[in-house]
Parts: sequence; structure tokens; C-alpha cells
Amino acid sequence: MLTLKLAWRNLFRNVRRTVLTCTLISSALIVLILFDGMLLGMVDAMVGGITKTLSGEAQVHKKGFRENLAPEFYLQNPDEIAAALSADERISAHASRVIVGGMIASSRNTIGGVIYGVDAESERNVSKVSQSLYEGKYLSGEKREILIGKLMAELLEVEVGDRIIITAASVDDNEIIQELFRVSGLVEFGQTEIDESIAFINLDAAQSFLGMQGRVHEIAVRFINAEDAKDTALPILKRLNQGEIEALGWPELQPSIAGMIQMTDISSGLIGSILFILTALGVINSMFMSIYERLYEFGIARAIGTTPGQIFSLVLLEAFLLGAMASVIGLAMGYFLSSYFNVNGIPVGEFEFSGVGIDGNLRTELRSYQFIAFPIYVTVLTVIAAIYPGIFASKITPSRALQRTL
Amino acid sequence: MSTVIETKNLCRTFGEGETQVAALDQVDITIKAGEFTAITGPSGSGKTTLLQLIGGLDEPVMGDIFLSGTNIAHMSGAQLSDFRRDHIGFIFQSYNLIPVLSAQENIEYIMLLQGISAQARRERVEEMLALVGLEGLGDRRPAQLSGGQQQRVAVARAMASKPTIILADEPTANLDSTTGVALIEVMRELNKKLGMTFVFSTHDHKIMDRADRLIHLEDGVIQLDELRNS
Repeated sequence: MLTLKLAWRNLFRNVRRTVLTCTLISSALIVLILFDGMLLGMVDAMVGGITKTLSGEAQVHKKGFRENLAPEFYLQNPDEIAAALSADERISAHASRVIVGGMIASSRNTIGGVIYGVDAESERNVSKVSQSLYEGKYLSGEKREILIGKLMAELLEVEVGDRIIITAASVDDNEIIQELFRVSGLVEFGQTEIDESIAFINLDAAQSFLGMQGRVHEIAVRFINAEDAKDTALPILKRLNQGEIEALGWPELQPSIAGMIQMTDISSGLIGSILFILTALGVINSMFMSIYERLYEFGIARAIGTTPGQIFSLVLLEAFLLGAMASVIGLAMGYFLSSYFNVNGIPVGEFEFSGVGIDGNLRTELRSYQFIAFPIYVTVLTVIAAIYPGIFASKITPSRALQRTL
Repeated sequence: MSTVIETKNLCRTFGEGETQVAALDQVDITIKAGEFTAITGPSGSGKTTLLQLIGGLDEPVMGDIFLSGTNIAHMSGAQLSDFRRDHIGFIFQSYNLIPVLSAQENIEYIMLLQGISAQARRERVEEMLALVGLEGLGDRRPAQLSGGQQQRVAVARAMASKPTIILADEPTANLDSTTGVALIEVMRELNKKLGMTFVFSTHDHKIMDRADRLIHLEDGVIQLDELRNS
């Protein structure tokens, strides 16, 4: 207790230095918490951009379908798969889709695109199609209604109510078939690729048009806990992932984005390391100044029987108290700032990253480890940084330190 | 009376080559238990060096130092730390105390190093403060005490660990003569009351007059060793 008291009081001998060092350490912790929160926010925005916009958190296909969207790679038993998905308590929603590439033509222009046949109701719980409605009305089940992207409408030079013709190949005999649709609404996802090239029609209409009644190409899935999508060993995915069927989470469906997220982990570690090194140098400098000021006193302490180990421990204890104090301050400030930016966001402007749109506000994400592990790291780092000054202090010889007297 | 300090052929030099200076040259002294010994001599005569060597704060280039029969001349740093803690009490010239600890905490600190229980420490602190006449001032930090009071705390601290000998290098140097004499009187009283061995250096004749024995050093050599007042 007396040693603790001694270490604590030693910290406040030079209040200005302690406050400055404390500020340095707590600032590093605040930056670390905010930076990690921002990265997580960005990753969440990117993953959300993929999973919440259209693709869902996982998808079930026939193997080979994803390579070139060939219409003949359809699921033979979609009802069984849908029933299995509905029975799994981890899954919140799923939506069956027919997906086919084709030509989309207006009276003025023709473009290539992808036509999604979707079930209007189940799609509401899986993707943002209904929420992205920009003009007109959402799918109601009428045979000829079609939703197209705002950019596609510009390319085709059509408006809501105009007619367009879709040309595609039928599934069974590969015959060229055409169907007339009327634009019922325009959607805007904020992602150029989708807004330019995807059109949505009713699932029944698509199955009828392509001659694939009762069959679908894809079942998009949303989990109650989005993290489940990363678990390749998840029982429902493992169960479905058999024979010709593949059931994959978004990291496998979008390996480039998963790679990007890994990169953010690396950059987070890199920034953390740089911060730690800078902070460590500040702590070493501060501890050395403190030791030099107390050389004579260390001499006395050594003379009256304090062992080198006890001097070393005292310096480390001072560093621990400094780190702990700075961590408490940094934690409180970090929590306050991160919470603020979690609610209000950091204005970064609208941009598209790797094909994924990020809206104008980047919201920091708060995680428990930021407020438990990071302060512990910072405190441990402060103690580690004090090892060198501690060794120096422990090697002080009493006769040299006490040159002024005994 | 048993011998508590014995030096044999003790030599200490500083510097190298042509600049080498002999701070102590073949010093042989024997001090018995309970003696109140003053080491005198002009500046640079080797008083501090002798006390440092006896206290295990420095190593001789040659010779032996026996404290209660144990030769400390060739002990390792860690062994010396333990030996100093358990057998030697130190009083320094000034800035003696740890400034962030109160008087009683300064006295308690050395007992903490000895692993004495909190209750025993508290009791001994009270006892020591009473012995040096500082009852009621234990909570004060060094800066809140006068120079004489600070040195009394230093005396109490030196005695708290129940050492065999107490070494003091010019403990009165930074005190006015009245306070200095009062401090020596406290030390003298403790020496008589508890039979503790005191060895101290001084320039001051008033202080020397209180000693049982005078060892006079010049250029690292003992010029005079006489018993007085005994």
C-alpha cells in the first residue's frame, strides 16, 4: 500500500509533465477507438451495401450458376430448400428469384441487362428493392409491370408508364423469346452497376416468360444475426451445401470485399502499431525525465536497502498507474466521441467504393473490445515502455547518486 | 564490548594513471559496539569515502571491511542491499527524506522493505517519533518540517530498522549550530539509551566534543585516533 501511495504521489510531483504524458496516452487510445469504429463503420457500410441492397447475406444456387448466370442452372427443388430455410431459427427471411440476362429495349434504345424475377412480398424482407423506389409504384403482382433503375431509364429514355420489351432465351429449349412490359416504377440504389443494368419483374411473370414454372435460380437469405453469414460451418449452410447445390455466405460470394475487410484489419493494426510506438517514445521520454529528477532520491532509496528489483518495480508501478489513469480518461472520451459519431455520423460525402455505395455519413461502430481490450493494450504498452527506464533506474549505484553527500 | 566495524588495509583510489588520487590509503580501524565515533578531517580527507565503504555503498580497491564479523568488501550489489537494509542505518547531509511521503511514511518505508507487518510498523513509527521528539508531526511532509525536524526524522528512519550501526555524513552541515548541537544530543541520547553504535563525520568542533572517540583523517590516512569523554 505504501509503495502504491509512493508511486501515485510520484506521478504528481510534476503535474504538467504527467498531464501531458497522460494526454498523449489517452489521445492515442481515443484515436484507436475512433479509427477502429470508423473502419468498422465503413466495413459495415460496405457489407451492408452488398447484403442489404440486393444480394442478401447468403444465397443458394445450383453450382455453376454464378459463373455466367446460365438460365439452365436452376434449382430443381426450391420449395424444399425454402421450407428448410423457413424452419431454421437463425434465418429471418428468404426470397426466391429467377435471374436471366437479356436485351432490354425501349422505342429509342436497347441495352443489355439482367432481369430479376422476384416475389414482391418476400423480397421486401431480403433486399432494398421496395425501399429504393424513386418514382412510380412497387411490384403488385400484375403480369406486365417492371421496375427499372433510374440510370437504366435514362439510357433507354423511358419514364414510368412507358413500354419496354425484354428479349431473352427460354430455359428449356433455348429459344429466343420476347415479352412486353410497362414501366411501373423507377428504383435508385445508389450503385451505378445495379441502377444501370438491373430490372425487376414479378416472379410468376418471369417463370412464365422463361418457361420455368416452379423453378428458381437463386434463393437470397437474411439472418437474424448478420455475423452468421460468415460462418461456413453454420448447420443450415452445411446441410444445403450438398451435391449440385451451393449455399454460400457473402464472404464467399464477394471474395474481393472480404479481402478488402481483411485489408482494413491490417491497416487498423498498422495504425495501432504506429500510435503505440509514438506513445511508447513519449512515455519513455517522460519516465526518463522523471528518473533523472530523482537520481539522488533513488540513491537514498538504494542506500537504505531498496533492491534494484524494488526500484524497477516502483518505476513500472508508476507507469502502470499513468497508463491506467490515461486509459480511463481515453476510454471515457473515446466512448463519448464514438457514441456521438455513431449517432450523427462523420460527413465524408457520397462515394462508391469497390462498386459499393457509401452514403454521405460514415457512422462509427462501437464494440465492447474497444473499451475493454484497447485500454488494457494501452496500459500494458505504457508498462512495457517503462521497462527500459526502469532498468536504468534499477542500475543506479548509490555512491554515484549520492555524490553530494554520503 | 564486541567489535562491530573493522577495516583492514582499506584502500580506495579515484581516477586513472597520472590523475589517480588515493582517497583512502591502508586504513585500519576497529570500532566497538555502542561507540559514538566522530570522523573528522578537512574537505577531501576521505571522511565520506570511508563512511561509504563502511556502509557498503562503494567498493574498496583493496582491503577488507568486517561488519559484525561479516566481510562486506566483496559482496554483490543485491547482497549489499539486503545487508544495508538489515544492519546499517544512514543519515545523510540533507534532502534525506522522500519528499512525497509523510514523516511517518518515511520511517515506515524501510520497515516495509524488511517485510515487517503493518501493525508492527505503525507501533514502531510511533515509538521512533517519540524517541526523536516529533510526536504529533508524523503526518507532515518533509517540506512542512524544519531542517532540524527533517534530520530527526532521518535519525528515526535510520533507527527504525534496528540496525547494528548508524552512519551519518555531516548530519548537521546544513543546520544552524544550535539545531546541529540539538540533533547530536538526540543521537547521543539514543546511543546511550539503546547502546546503538554511531559513526558520523563532521567539521564542527562543538559536535566533535560530543563524541566518545575521534578519528582524524588527512589525505586518506588516519592521523589521530583518540578516545574522549569515556
